[in-house]
Amino acid sequence: MTGPAEPPESADAPRQLAELREILVGGERRAIEELRGRLDALGLTPEEVAEQLPDAIALGASRDDRLARALTPTLERAIGESVERNPDRIAQAIYPSLGPAVRKAIAEALAGLVAGINHAIEHSLSWQGLKWRVESWRTGVPFPQVVMTHALVYRVEQVYLIHAETGLLLAHVAAPDLAAPDADLISGMLTAIRDFVSDSFDAGREGGLREFAVGELTVMVEPGPRALLAAVVRGQAPPALLGRLQATLETVHFRFAAPFARFGGDAAPFEAAKPLLAECLETRLETDRPRQRSLAPRIAWALVLVLVVVLVVLAVRSHRRWRRAVDALRAQPGLVVLRADRGVFRGWRIEGLRDPLAAEPAAVLAGLGVDTAGLRGSWKPYVSADPPVVLARVRRAVVVPPDLQLTLAGDTVTATGSADLAWLAEASRRAAGVAGVARLDLSRVAPRFPAALQPLADSVDAALVLFAPGSAALSPEAAATVRAAAARLRRLQAAVAPAWAIAVALVGRTDTTGSHETNRSLSEERARAVARVLAGLGVAPAALAPSGAGAEAPLPAAAGLDLAGTNRSVALAVRVRPAVPEGGRAP
Amino acid sequence: MIQKKVCMVGFFATGKTCLVRRFVHSKFSEKYLSTVGVKIDRKEVAVDGQPVNLLLWDLEGRDGEQDLQLSYLRGASGVIYVVDGTRRETCTRLKELRHAVRAAVGDTPAVVALNKADLTDQWALTGADTDALAAFPWHVFTTSAKTGDGVEAAFLWLAENMVKAT
Repeated sequence: MTGPAEPPESADAPRQLAELREILVGGERRAIEELRGRLDALGLTPEEVAEQLPDAIALGASRDDRLARALTPTLERAIGESVERNPDRIAQAIYPSLGPAVRKAIAEALAGLVAGINHAIEHSLSWQGLKWRVESWRTGVPFPQVVMTHALVYRVEQVYLIHAETGLLLAHVAAPDLAAPDADLISGMLTAIRDFVSDSFDAGREGGLREFAVGELTVMVEPGPRALLAAVVRGQAPPALLGRLQATLETVHFRFAAPFARFGGDAAPFEAAKPLLAECLETRLETDRPRQRSLAPRIAWALVLVLVVVLVVLAVRSHRRWRRAVDALRAQPGLVVLRADRGVFRGWRIEGLRDPLAAEPAAVLAGLGVDTAGLRGSWKPYVSADPPVVLARVRRAVVVPPDLQLTLAGDTVTATGSADLAWLAEASRRAAGVAGVARLDLSRVAPRFPAALQPLADSVDAALVLFAPGSAALSPEAAATVRAAAARLRRLQAAVAPAWAIAVALVGRTDTTGSHETNRSLSEERARAVARVLAGLGVAPAALAPSGAGAEAPLPAAAGLDLAGTNRSVALAVRVRPAVPEGGRAP
Repeated sequence: MIQKKVCMVGFFATGKTCLVRRFVHSKFSEKYLSTVGVKIDRKEVAVDGQPVNLLLWDLEGRDGEQDLQLSYLRGASGVIYVVDGTRRETCTRLKELRHAVRAAVGDTPAVVALNKADLTDQWALTGADTDALAAFPWHVFTTSAKTGDGVEAAFLWLAENMVKAT
């Protein structure tokens, strides 16, 4: 018996199953088939991939950079991780190539530098360049080396890596052009000397000899626990170098910890330290010096500049003052400047001619504010025709009174003013011998009584002949006054004769009463009356000049009189004048 | 190249300096001995075909260990004691010197050079003296700086033993 779920026909079962399968997974099955087909077409197993990969990479790399670009991040990560995990491995791997590369780079840089300097100097005709050329030619030392010696600021010539305990040399590098010295012996001796110094001065081993100078060389020693580093420096070693030596020594200790630990005299492992030491070899030439300079030299230059400016200004001022001084001397009458020189150190030298009456040159310069301490003047005397000097000469020869003015026109000196008779008598004679003067014109000089006669003349001038109002008749008192005056006038006349004569001005006056005409004629009458009396008493009539002023130009009131009384008078004024020659008017 | 520091010690005028002068490479003058108290020379020998560089620290010695500058001994891999065969006290007092040196460098290969072997008529050492030396672990050579006898052998023995010791 069969159940209701039984398939109706067993012959249909496989077909139906196949249909069902087709419905349920047909799509996927076909996809799998397709994939399998493709994989079969590719025909690669992992073994086959391993086989193909190198060729594929080679092919890819030859085509373009895509492969390199794709691999770069992965490689970088891998290297980074490797360095983090075990730095020695990478370091060891690249050491052999790194050292020579560094050395080569340094050598090339150095060569380039020297070649550059060589080139620069070759094409410059500087004195220094020529000097160095000559030195190179003379000594046979190559030119770049001569340049190096002179332009060198400093140069690390040798670096020694020395085993601290034994003093044995572990590694040594030297500048390429240096002859290899007995580095092992030097290394030992250096250690011995350091020991010697430490023992001698009781310094600890670490605090031993760090630096010493030998001629142009300085040896800088950086001590470490296992080894010490000694650098031989030519020139002025910068402080930064010590830091570099320290860093190098630390690196050496770090990298060569194992060789140090098992060191038994074999320096071969330390061969690898040479590139590190070579990094310390360095040359610094003058041309490499940084442009920026410290403040101190700049201040010094500024001060020098200021000093130069100040000196120039002072020199210009001094020169101007000098020119002014010389001009002033030239302008001075009686001085002729023939030569004026200025020495470098303030020494002034002036040569010329000087009239003895000219101003003192030193005084002239002092008046201008010129320091005459450094002045050397040499003056030859001469006679000057400069008007002021000629006049000064006249004044000195003739002893001219100070109130007399002298002027020079051509060779004639004209005197203006007043002078007494004694001087007038002598003046022309004295002036006759004065250089530059042909004639002394005294016509404009008003003669004066000699000092001895002046009181007498003054007493005549003081006399006042008084009259009664409206009268021209002399009262007895007035007649007495006139007589006294006549006696004095006669004495004066006798004293000045014969070359001179007196002149008496008689001015009659009236008070203000009465008309102008009346007063005028009354005053003239009064003057003539006095003149007549004086002539009668022996005074030369030619000397008498009566005139009337009326009531005009009144005299101020005299002592003991009123104004009217004072002016009812005749006033006398006596002067001296050249005598009228004989045969002239009547005496 | 292997390098070794070797110290040469001995009393005054035992001929240390003479001993090495003809056989080594010198750079420094003997003035160093009296000024710094040490002079360093180089002696190259071959051990098993390998070159070995001996750096010889010639230590000034006037009166034995008293004025021996101990800091110069530091790091030495070998010691050469030099005895003047014509002066007996330089041999009999060698023990004192050895004591001082060992205190500074420890046990290192050492040789004793009985020097001035050419002066046979003045030779002062007895058989007893040399027997006494045999009591210590060092190798004794009879040397002559004048003829060169024994000098190379002494250097070579020391070099070999120093290389072996490392």
